[in-house]
Amino acid sequence: MSGHVTDERAPGSGRPIIEADHISKHFGGVFAVDDVSLTVSPGEIHGVVGENGAGKSTLMRVLAGILRPDNGSVLVDGRQLEAGDTRAALDAGVALVHQELSLVPEMTVAENILLGSTPSQAGLIKTQELKQVAADALDEIHVSVDLDEPVVRLSVALRQFVEIARAVARKPRVLILDEPTATLTPAETDYLLDMLERLAERGLAIIYISHRIPEIFRICHRVTVLRDGKHVDTVAIADTRPEDLVDKMVGRELKLDLQDRREAGEPGPVVLRAIGIRAPGVNDVDLDVRAGQIVGLGGLVGAGRTELVRAIIGADLRSAGQVTITAGGSTTRVTSYRSAVAAGLAYVPEERRADGLALTMTVADNVALPNRHQVSRSSVLLVRRIAELAKRLADTVGLRPPEVQREAGDFSGGNQQKVVLAKWLGREPDVIVLDEPTRGVDVGAKVEIHRLIKELADTGAAVLVVSSDLPELLDLADVIHVMRDGRVVGTLPSELADEKSVMSLASGETGAMIGV
Amino acid sequence: MSENLAGRSVTPTTSDGGDGQQTAVTAPTAEAGPPAQVGIEQRDFHLLAWLADRGIIVFTLALVLLAAAFVDGFASVDNITDVFNRAAPIGIVAVGMTFVVISANYLDLSVVAQVATAAVVLIGISNETNIPLAMLLALGIALVYGVVNGVAVGVFKANAVIVTLATTFMGLGILRWASGGSIYFGPEDSLIRSFGTTEIGPFPLSMIALIVIAIALHLVLTRTTFGFMVKSYGSNREATRLAGVNISLVVIGAFILSALGAMIGGFVLAAFSNTAVSAMSDGFDFEALAAIIVGGTSVFGGRGSVLRTLLGVVFVSVLTNIMVLSGLGFGYQQMAIGALIVVAVSVDALARRAAGI
Repeated sequence: MSGHVTDERAPGSGRPIIEADHISKHFGGVFAVDDVSLTVSPGEIHGVVGENGAGKSTLMRVLAGILRPDNGSVLVDGRQLEAGDTRAALDAGVALVHQELSLVPEMTVAENILLGSTPSQAGLIKTQELKQVAADALDEIHVSVDLDEPVVRLSVALRQFVEIARAVARKPRVLILDEPTATLTPAETDYLLDMLERLAERGLAIIYISHRIPEIFRICHRVTVLRDGKHVDTVAIADTRPEDLVDKMVGRELKLDLQDRREAGEPGPVVLRAIGIRAPGVNDVDLDVRAGQIVGLGGLVGAGRTELVRAIIGADLRSAGQVTITAGGSTTRVTSYRSAVAAGLAYVPEERRADGLALTMTVADNVALPNRHQVSRSSVLLVRRIAELAKRLADTVGLRPPEVQREAGDFSGGNQQKVVLAKWLGREPDVIVLDEPTRGVDVGAKVEIHRLIKELADTGAAVLVVSSDLPELLDLADVIHVMRDGRVVGTLPSELADEKSVMSLASGETGAMIGV
Repeated sequence: MSENLAGRSVTPTTSDGGDGQQTAVTAPTAEAGPPAQVGIEQRDFHLLAWLADRGIIVFTLALVLLAAAFVDGFASVDNITDVFNRAAPIGIVAVGMTFVVISANYLDLSVVAQVATAAVVLIGISNETNIPLAMLLALGIALVYGVVNGVAVGVFKANAVIVTLATTFMGLGILRWASGGSIYFGPEDSLIRSFGTTEIGPFPLSMIALIVIAIALHLVLTRTTFGFMVKSYGSNREATRLAGVNISLVVIGAFILSALGAMIGGFVLAAFSNTAVSAMSDGFDFEALAAIIVGGTSVFGGRGSVLRTLLGVVFVSVLTNIMVLSGLGFGYQQMAIGALIVVAVSVDALARRAAGI
């Protein structure tokens, strides 16, 4: 867990370049940030940790002038910034790399990097200068990518780097990164962390938000812990331990049982069988998942895992291949997504806000949707039955707060993911496919989601999990298929799988490359 | 700076941020879930969100009371009946179209052609044969409209505004070709005529039809799996698809309901005037839309209700009536409806942003 913490690192002792002074911000009746102060000095990497909903992103958006605080002020170089003025923050040298990617997919890499500050003369874009500035920014972060490539064709990881180049192109003095590694593989994460260390050595102040404690210990000099919008502590990294940090984040004793492997019994008969699957990004894959078995799909981002599972279940078209689901004594050929659902499939998609939930509807309604036949009689909804079902499933997944009549959009990421799971639990699925089930989810929710997935397998469901989070994959899966370039390049039973074996298969021994 | 607050209680202390009321509702919840959020009604007060949500009730009441107090001739039985007679056809169109709006497909412009077609078919065909046959033919035409619009939008994923603009064009073209642009007059003693002239108190039958249809459609929207899927589709179509819903059928269903509303609206309009002509429903698209969005149904989809539309119809009709009574001509009425739509969709969009969606 521990990184290479060395003593010569100045723990932010210099004159601060940016100062958050008693910031408060509330949404609704709730303080998202409650009287939080923070200082960061040039050359310092300052970690900010806390569970989802702790107020990290809100605080960062206040620092970047996107949100106007109710109280308190932001100072850069001792000068107070105009509250809630994005332009002023940018001009003062504060650049934020967003958590949600904010690139324009159809525009090129160069255009995206200079979006909002495009060099122009008399309304005409100066193409040469545009490319030069974009190229310089990419050079600065040591990423090579074709400047004329539309962003839509880049991998998620490359898009993340373009996003960082965009911030760097503005010659910031303070760089804020909000969960930049959530979508990255370990190799890509390494690359990013090295890059940040280089930038800090050149005097940039960096504020780094992450759920991943090892990253914090690897690059940060100091770390600030937030909980429920409040400042809990700021410590020099050399003076703390990962366990202490986690304790402060959750504010309670939490057993990190992510490494408790399931005692898997003898797997049952094959439930999900896929043969010769071909689809864009997927090249001739066979896959079986048995009853009571958890099969993991590992690999780097862009290896074709999401594409594979979506092609298998019919959520996207496949160009070749056969899929069958055998459950309850009958075998169904999966010819469309709906036929898969009818045969007992549950699918927890990668993009939960975009694909998993109707955010403007209540939790109860979201839960009722896939269970509509259960909660209606001859097409007439039975309101009481919806409420009962939602209540029961909310209890099962541990929804907090357990208020099923609230809109799904009101809940934190981890709880939204529990709602997505709850939707399908009501159907008692025979096959459940989960894509990045705990991405962007806090530690507490993660533990609960893992428990649910294991319980599903224990009760005989066939489970297929895609995850870029290696410890998660190792914890959950009975067998791991590793993908690279659209193919399964290796299969590891749980007793042989570790981070190293999965990564060496995923990266093809040559080491993961960043770039095109 | 690095003041250690780890031991501090999580119970909110009264901070000087915001007003004191905000802190009062922040109750401590168990452990480290999301920040304490006690209930939806305790959200921050946003004027725009409030306007989009509750504004219609207050505004309709205020408008009616003001009209009754200050506009000569408003509070008479004859005038009220007149308001109802004019409100009913547009209202019936609007409650049907509400399903299209909630499904996030903006609106059904083709109701203009559908209303005129239903009216011309009802009077023209019944003049030559009989009423049931005319109604059956109109029903067939309505289903064709619903299926054509629904398939183009729901199956081929074409843009609903463009599709229904085009089907209006086609439909009016067919109607003018088939009718030769003539005006059809119904006989004075027909059943159609007597429907159009019968009143119970100040309520014409058409208004009662509107109320019955609105309640029926309200139940369809809130109490059936179909209505539920329309709402869910409007809120997030991909999540709805991935829940195993046949989303094409949901869209087709929404357009069929809209077409059925337009058909009945056309019947009622024909019965009221006892005449029918292809140009008689000009502006129905926008007046229906005005009623829907003024009522508070969101053009972004997923939020809205049929009963809201009913209130919106009352508001728009009373507003129009006030203008007529004040001697403001059709041009002014058009301007008012247009302005109303701009304001209502802007409030809708701003409220959505204020709610942070």
